[in-house]
Amino acid sequence: MNYEKENLKEGITIHKIKTNKFKTNLFAIFLSTKLDRNTVTKNALLAAVLRRGTKKLATQEEISKALENMYGASFDCGIEKTGDNHILKFYLESINNDFLPAKENLSKECLDILFDIVFNPYIEDGKFKNEYVEGEKENLKQIIEGKIDNKAKYAYDRCIEEMYKNEPYGLYRYGYIEDLDNIDAQSLYNYYVELIKNVKIDIFVSGDLEDEIMSEIKENETIMNLQPRTPIYNINKENDTKPLVEEPKVISESMQITQGKLILGLDVLDNRKESKYATSVYNVILGGSANSKMFQNVREKASLAYSAGSSYLRQKDNIFIKCGIDIPNYEKALELIKEQLKQMENGDFTDEDINNAQTIIASSVGSITESQDSEITYYFSQELSDEFISIEEYIKNINSVNKEQIVEIAKKIQINTIYFLKD
Amino acid sequence: MKIIESTKIKEKAYFEKLENGLNIIIIPKANTKKKYVIWGTNFGSIDNRFILPKTNEEVFIPDGVAHFLEHKMFEQKNGRNSLDVLMALGLDANAYTTNDHTAYLFECSSDKFYEGLDELMDYVQNPYFTDENVEKEKGIIGQEIMMYDDDPGFKLYLNTMDCLYHKNAVKLDIAGTIESIKDINPDVLYKCYNTFYHPSNMTLVVCGDFVPEDLLEEIKKRLLPKENQGEIKRIYEEEEDSINKERKEANMEVSTPIFMIGIKDKLPVTDEIVKKHIAIQIILNMLVGKSSSLYRDLYNSGDLLAEPDCDYEFSKQYSHVLVGGQSKNPELIYEKFKSELARVKKDGLDEEHFERIKRKIYGEYVTDYNSVSNIARMFLADSFKGINSFDYIEKFDSVTKDYAEQILNDVFKENMMGFSVIRPK
Repeated sequence: MNYEKENLKEGITIHKIKTNKFKTNLFAIFLSTKLDRNTVTKNALLAAVLRRGTKKLATQEEISKALENMYGASFDCGIEKTGDNHILKFYLESINNDFLPAKENLSKECLDILFDIVFNPYIEDGKFKNEYVEGEKENLKQIIEGKIDNKAKYAYDRCIEEMYKNEPYGLYRYGYIEDLDNIDAQSLYNYYVELIKNVKIDIFVSGDLEDEIMSEIKENETIMNLQPRTPIYNINKENDTKPLVEEPKVISESMQITQGKLILGLDVLDNRKESKYATSVYNVILGGSANSKMFQNVREKASLAYSAGSSYLRQKDNIFIKCGIDIPNYEKALELIKEQLKQMENGDFTDEDINNAQTIIASSVGSITESQDSEITYYFSQELSDEFISIEEYIKNINSVNKEQIVEIAKKIQINTIYFLKD
Repeated sequence: MKIIESTKIKEKAYFEKLENGLNIIIIPKANTKKKYVIWGTNFGSIDNRFILPKTNEEVFIPDGVAHFLEHKMFEQKNGRNSLDVLMALGLDANAYTTNDHTAYLFECSSDKFYEGLDELMDYVQNPYFTDENVEKEKGIIGQEIMMYDDDPGFKLYLNTMDCLYHKNAVKLDIAGTIESIKDINPDVLYKCYNTFYHPSNMTLVVCGDFVPEDLLEEIKKRLLPKENQGEIKRIYEEEEDSINKERKEANMEVSTPIFMIGIKDKLPVTDEIVKKHIAIQIILNMLVGKSSSLYRDLYNSGDLLAEPDCDYEFSKQYSHVLVGGQSKNPELIYEKFKSELARVKKDGLDEEHFERIKRKIYGEYVTDYNSVSNIARMFLADSFKGINSFDYIEKFDSVTKDYAEQILNDVFKENMMGFSVIRPK
C-alpha cells in the first residue's frame, strides 16, 4: 500500500502517497466546508485573495518570482463542489529533487510557500489588503459572467441548477454577483479567521518523497499553531430518498448558437452504497463509451448528434445525458434517448456489453495511480465519504455486477429535468 | 536500434528506421502501468496539393480531406468500427488531425496492449471507403464544423491566422467547410490514403514499460508488405514575407472580449529551431509572464485576469508566435505589449530575470516527462518537424542572454504582428 494517512489533530489530516512514477511532487491542501448560499461567494473570493500575497511574500509578483526560482514550481487553486460540500483547493507542484541540475531541497520550500499562502496571508491593519479584495471581486465577477462562454458546460450547469433549485447542490460554485457588494476586506478577513478555526483540513503529499516529509509537516510552525477542531461538513454518505416526479421539468433557453445542447438530468431512485457499482456499469452501457447506446444509436446510426454521452454523478445519485444536436432535431433526439432508457429497462443489452463496460471502468479506475492529481482526488473523496475502499477492491466490486442488478437500476431511473439550449 | 539517452531527465529513446521507410521510436518507461502508442502520418490540413509518386499526376484536394480521412479510417469492411473495438478492450482510443499530421492512438492500463496493437495496426493499414459510408460521414463532420463555429477560441485563432497569412493553408479550418467536404468521395480518400499512409511517410511512437527489442519485433510482425514509394512532392502556395492584415474582429457569445496577438516568423531552419524555440519561450515569459512588470500592471488594473497563453507554433511550412487571453480592454493590452517590446529591445533583457525564467522553463521540460501520453505525442509531433525531443533538454544550456536578445530582434517585429479580437455581441 503506497498510501497512508495520519490524523494530526482533530479535523486535520495528513495523507501521504508514495509513488516513483513521476518527475514531480504534488502538494495539496483542501479546506472542506458545507455548501451554503450564505458562504458560497465568500469561499470563491477567498481562494482568489489568498493567492495574492503572504506575510513573507506580500505580492503576487514576489510569489511568482519565488516559484520561478524553484524551477517553475506551479501553484494552482480552485473551488469545487463535492456532494454537498464546497471545497477550497490549493496545489503546488514542483520537480523532484532527483531531477534538479544542482542539489537543493525543493520539497521543503514548496511546503513552506503552500502553508504560507493558505494560513499566513498578507494582512494590513487587521484585514486583507483592500486592493486585493476589490481586484479579486472584479475578477470573480468576470468569472461568474463567463459561465456562458462554454456552451456545453453552461447547459450542464443550468440543468443542475434547475434540478436542485433551492438546494445546496444547485448553487454555482463561484457564487453570485449580487453578493459581492456586501463583502469587503474586513468582512472577508473575519470570515477567513472563523473558517480557518473550524474548517476540515486535509494535507496531501504525493511523489518519490523522503520519509522525513511527515515530520517536516508536523514540525512546521504554521501547522503546529493550528488548533484542533470539530469540522462542520457533510459526510458523503447515503443521500435522502429522492421524491418521485410525475412529469419531468422541461426548460429551454435561447442563445445565439448554431448547435443545440440537450441535457437530461436523471435521478437514480436507489440510495444504497452497494448500488453505486451497478449504476456505474449502467451508465457506461447507456452513454459512457463509444460502444454505448447513446453513442451508437443516437450519434452513429441516426447521425443525429455530434456528441452524445452520459456521465454519472456518484455523490448525488444522478446521471446526466449530454448531446450536441442540430436544433430542429430536438424532438427526434429526445424520443430516441427515451427509447435507449427503455431498452436498458428491458434488459436489451448483452453480456458482452456488461463485460465491456466493466473493462472500461476497471481500466479507468486502475489508471488513477498514473496521475498524481487523480490519486489525490480518489483518496480525498474517500476521506469525505468516511470510508476506505482500495482501488483493487473497487475494481472487484465493479466486476461482480450482474445483469439483474443493472436492470434493477434501470427500473429506478427517472427523468427529472430536460434542459435544452437553442438559438 | 539507435539509442539516445538523456542523463539529465534519466530517460532513453530507441530509434529505428525500417526498410519500408517506417520510423519507429520507443521510449521505455519503467514503473508505469500506462502504455501509449501513437501512429502518425505526415499528412495534415495544409497538404492540399501534391504529385502522386506513382503516376506523377498532380492532385488538388478539397479542404478538410485529412480530417475526413481520419474519421473514416475506423470503419472496417466487416461492418465493425475499430474505435468501438478498442474501447471494448478498455483502451482509451482516439485520433486527431493537425495542420501537418494525422495520428491514431490508444492508451492502455491493462494487459490488453497487444490486442489493441493488433486492431490499431490492422485498421490503419486497411481502409474501407464506400459512397454510402462517405456520404453518411458528411452529416457527422458537418455537425463538428458547426460546433467549432460556436467556439469563440477557435474563431479567434483562425482570425489570427487570417491576419498573418495571405495564402498559407494554416489559415483554413482543419475540418474544412460544409461546402468543401461535399466534394469528398472515396476516390479522393483512396488517393490520399495510398500516397500519405505509406510507411515511408509515417512514424510510430510507443511509450511504456517495454523491452524495446521485443516490442520492435511485435510491430514488425503486424506490418503489411508494401512496395516502396518515392518521395511525395507537396506543392504549397508561395507565401509573401508580410502579413495579410493587421486586425480582424468578430462578435460572438462571450462575456468578456478575447484577444490574440500573432507574430509571423520566417520558415524554420531545422538545425536552429530547438534553440530558437527555447529562446522564444524565455522571451515570452519575460514579456508577459506571471512575474513580468507588464502582467503585474495589467492584473492590478483589472485588465488581465490570468497570465496570457503564449506559444510558438511551427511546422516546416509556417511559424508564428501567439499571445492570447481575455480582457475587457484588448486594445490596451495590444498597445502595452508593443511598448513593452520596444522597451525591452532598447534596454536588453534583464540578467536576473533571464536566469530565473530559464530555471522555470527547465522545470517545465522535466515535467513534460511525467506522462507516457505526453512523451509519445511530443516525440511524434517533433519528429515531423525533424526534431528529437530530448534536444530541448540537451540544448538548454546553449541558450544565452545574447542569443535570446538576437532572437528578440529577429522575430518580434511590429510590422509582422496581427491582432484578432472577439467581442461580446
